[in-house]
Amino acid sequence: MYKIIFTGPVGAGKTTAIGAISETPPVATDVPCSDDTRAIKATTTVAMDYSYITLEDGTRVHLYGTPGQERFNFMWEILARDGIGLILLINRDHPNPLQQLDFYLNAFSEFITQTAVVIGLTKSDLQDNNDITTFQDHLYQRNQIFPVFDIDARSADDVKILVHALLAVLNQ
Amino acid sequence: MQIIKDIIETLQNKSPNKVIDASTQFNQQLQIILKSLLQATDNINAALISSADGIAKSQVAANPMDEHRFAAMSSALLALSDNLSKEAGKGTAENVLIESKQGKIFILHAGPHLLLTVFTPAAANLGMALAHARQAVHQINALVEALTP
Ligand SMILES: Nc1nc2c(ncn2[C@@H]2O[C@H](COP(=O)(O)OP(=O)(O)O)[C@@H](O)[C@H]2O)c(=O)[nH]1
Ligand SMILES: [Mg+2]
Repeated sequence: MYKIIFTGPVGAGKTTAIGAISETPPVATDVPCSDDTRAIKATTTVAMDYSYITLEDGTRVHLYGTPGQERFNFMWEILARDGIGLILLINRDHPNPLQQLDFYLNAFSEFITQTAVVIGLTKSDLQDNNDITTFQDHLYQRNQIFPVFDIDARSADDVKILVHALLAVLNQ
Repeated sequence: MQIIKDIIETLQNKSPNKVIDASTQFNQQLQIILKSLLQATDNINAALISSADGIAKSQVAANPMDEHRFAAMSSALLALSDNLSKEAGKGTAENVLIESKQGKIFILHAGPHLLLTVFTPAAANLGMALAHARQAVHQINALVEALTP
């Protein structure tokens, strides 16, 4: 079974990205926010997002999205089990996206070592300056060379690029 | 339901300068509901009230619990159960029951924004535990309703 995990901070677009490429109505577990997340959005994922896509060759790829908040990190472990790779979404409109990048790369470091990761910088459509080299330099300093893409999580084509990039890395 | 009447009375008699304390006071009232739940029955030995998005609000337990993790896990479990129940054509879940050798755990909706998780000892009577838990849910609902303008 091919299973890909979408993770990243609250509001990065994980639920949106899975919904954008999903072939069926996705399983979503969003509930009203009561914490400081409320300033960003009205609802938040508390268990997981789930859906699947079928590749040209008929292979079905299952997509699991994690909750963003650290208090749900038990779900990160459960969802990552048997996963073949990670799609890390980081929203560009966050005040400190590099810190977010570090946090999730560290939280999933074991999984990433065993599998692969691609990084999608979301909400690039809302940003004037889409300098991607800052992120690449940062990864280089961490001694980690991973594919990075600017995407709009609402666009199916953009999200598919991430999925295909991840599969390409895995097939190397 | 005497407790609820008392609680509502205290809250409604709040003077304006105490309004800032509303949420602290709300949490105190939740604490009263939980304490009386544990006093009312031996079938429940710990209870936790949390928000639907997994933040602990109030808990009572003989042994310390990691309320922050338990709150997050309760919301994840109940949210998934709601989905399964809805997709199976049975509407939203009223509660989740986990039966284990050393005891049982119920997770119940308490209105749209809160959850109640109760923990039973190994020998507990399931029906009694659930009945008491449901009564506490009514009390929580009444409290929330009293505070909603
Ligand atoms: N403009 C824009 N909005 C986005 C993008 N990605 C997500 N959003 C919006 O950001 C909000 C939060 O997205 P959501 O998928 O719930 O984030 P999650 O917490 O990662 O699951 C939603 O209102 C989305 O429509 C993006 O790339 N561009
Ligand atoms: Mg989400």
